Amino acid sequence: MPQRMFRSFQGLLLLGLFVFFVSKVVNGQLTWYINSRFVPLTIIGILFLAILAQTVFSEIRRSRQHALEHPEHHHEHDHSPSAGNLWIMLIPLLIGVLIPARPLDSSAFETKGFNTSAPLISSDSSAQIFETESEERNILDWLKLFNYEEDVTQFVGQKASVVGFVYFDEALGSDQFYVSRFVVSCCSADGFAIAIPVRWDASVGLEQDSWVVVKGTIESTALDGNRVPMIAAESVEAVDVPDQPYLFP
Amino acid sequence: MHNQTVVNRLPRNVIVWLAIGILALVASSMLPAGFFSWLWDRLNVFATVFLGIFVEAVPYLLLGTFASGLVEVFVDRDQMSRWVSRRPAAAAISGAFMGMIFPVCECGVVPLTRRLFKKGLPLSAGISFLLAAPVLNPIVVLSTASAFGWGEMLFWRFAVSLVIAVVVGLVFSVQKEAGEVLRPVLAGEEHDHVHAEPGDSIPEKIRKALLITVDEFFDMGRYLILGSMLAAGLQTFISQSSLLAIGSGPVLSVLIMLLLAILLSICSTVDSFVALGFVGTFSFGSVLSFLVFGPMVDIKSVMMYLQVFKRRAVMYIVAIPFMMSLLAGLVFNYFVK
Repeated sequence: MPQRMFRSFQGLLLLGLFVFFVSKVVNGQLTWYINSRFVPLTIIGILFLAILAQTVFSEIRRSRQHALEHPEHHHEHDHSPSAGNLWIMLIPLLIGVLIPARPLDSSAFETKGFNTSAPLISSDSSAQIFETESEERNILDWLKLFNYEEDVTQFVGQKASVVGFVYFDEALGSDQFYVSRFVVSCCSADGFAIAIPVRWDASVGLEQDSWVVVKGTIESTALDGNRVPMIAAESVEAVDVPDQPYLFP
Repeated sequence: MHNQTVVNRLPRNVIVWLAIGILALVASSMLPAGFFSWLWDRLNVFATVFLGIFVEAVPYLLLGTFASGLVEVFVDRDQMSRWVSRRPAAAAISGAFMGMIFPVCECGVVPLTRRLFKKGLPLSAGISFLLAAPVLNPIVVLSTASAFGWGEMLFWRFAVSLVIAVVVGLVFSVQKEAGEVLRPVLAGEEHDHVHAEPGDSIPEKIRKALLITVDEFFDMGRYLILGSMLAAGLQTFISQSSLLAIGSGPVLSVLIMLLLAILLSICSTVDSFVALGFVGTFSFGSVLSFLVFGPMVDIKSVMMYLQVFKRRAVMYIVAIPFMMSLLAGLVFNYFVK
């Protein structure tokens, strides 16, 4: 493949990647793949891709000009780079375009499993979670509190309001389901699911993986010998997929 | 005559494809109900995990390849030999600490190391840089501290990584012939498309650095993509939860953590948050081995190593850290905690 054609191919692929990333930023799906704290880094990466594409295109212009001005040097590049492996860069673009984007959901439980407890990281003090209004706490906060505190009776009876997707587990009764979220530290590859059991008489009417907001009071229950929170639901309402489907530790 | 063979071949192809189609139809009717929705779900998980690794890694790969481009145009071989000692031990130790100046993770470190070798960096220094830089850098210090606090885990993670990197660097210092270890691209047999000249002006240097960045981004990017696909594929079909479930016992737990480090292929800048999730169920030693080994070896980094080093060398780069991380984990499990 002649040098200029090779460069054009490179330029188009860079442009393709640029458009792919920009579209993910614009439609808000970037956080379906990575932790929101890496978004600024990705944006820098996008700008850099644009600079690289621009560099390649101006290089093509230069070499065309050069060929026009010095037709006798037309064969300056006798080593023709092989484009054989450039096409691999098409794979992420094809996967991004052909497979409709979907954040991790209960179909990933089959290999990733899910947890009903969560560790406290050293930079968040439990005091911080204590201070937040009980209805502001998310699934992760509740699980951290139950994991961290010896005496969980103090939480029983508190009001809870959490958002997550529905997961039915055979181990639960027919009037129960899990409300779950994925926790992502870095990217979807390290995502792990956490879940709180919910008691709700009309559970059977819910759909697997549908997003709901669960409001009710906290109870304490035993699951596989561990103390975990359970929500006695007063209402379960359908909601849209949140802007950020994952929680970030 | 040529035309005739094409005409003859065409119907045969059609027949073969028809047969395959009919077989596929028959096979699909025998599959259990729900197989295709199961497969579709798996495909979705695969796509999300693969794009997650890819989207996360691209900025870091760009950073690493740009650093490589800058080194190509701004550093010459004489400077390199003045900066880095030729004595193996000193070279290995200084290589391990170079990560403090070049904050790259395991995606960016490979192209940068390859460039530094081209500039005449001694093998031992380059290898210990390759293994240590993804951990011994300011960003990873901060993320480990924010997950585990300024405590033992942080200290041991860095101490053990440093020791392993220096040891592997020293092992390679025995090899005096770089061509035995590095792939020919580096031995100067093959050339870049872009050449830096000593007399280039600054804008010209930047232009060349950017073109080198593009070439290396594509060169390394394809191995990043293949590695991420492999990692995402394994994650889609191998159950991590059952892996974790069998991972008890002082030996098995370390092995499981090492396996998981390879399988997850997560960036060293954030792996400590992931490791934290294992603290409750896994011993200190096994989590430590995860944190030490993960940044050095995972599927995508091995794919990239294979572009820089010969196969035998990659075997050493993978096997020695594996055994030493295992050893470190066992020592902590049996004697310390």
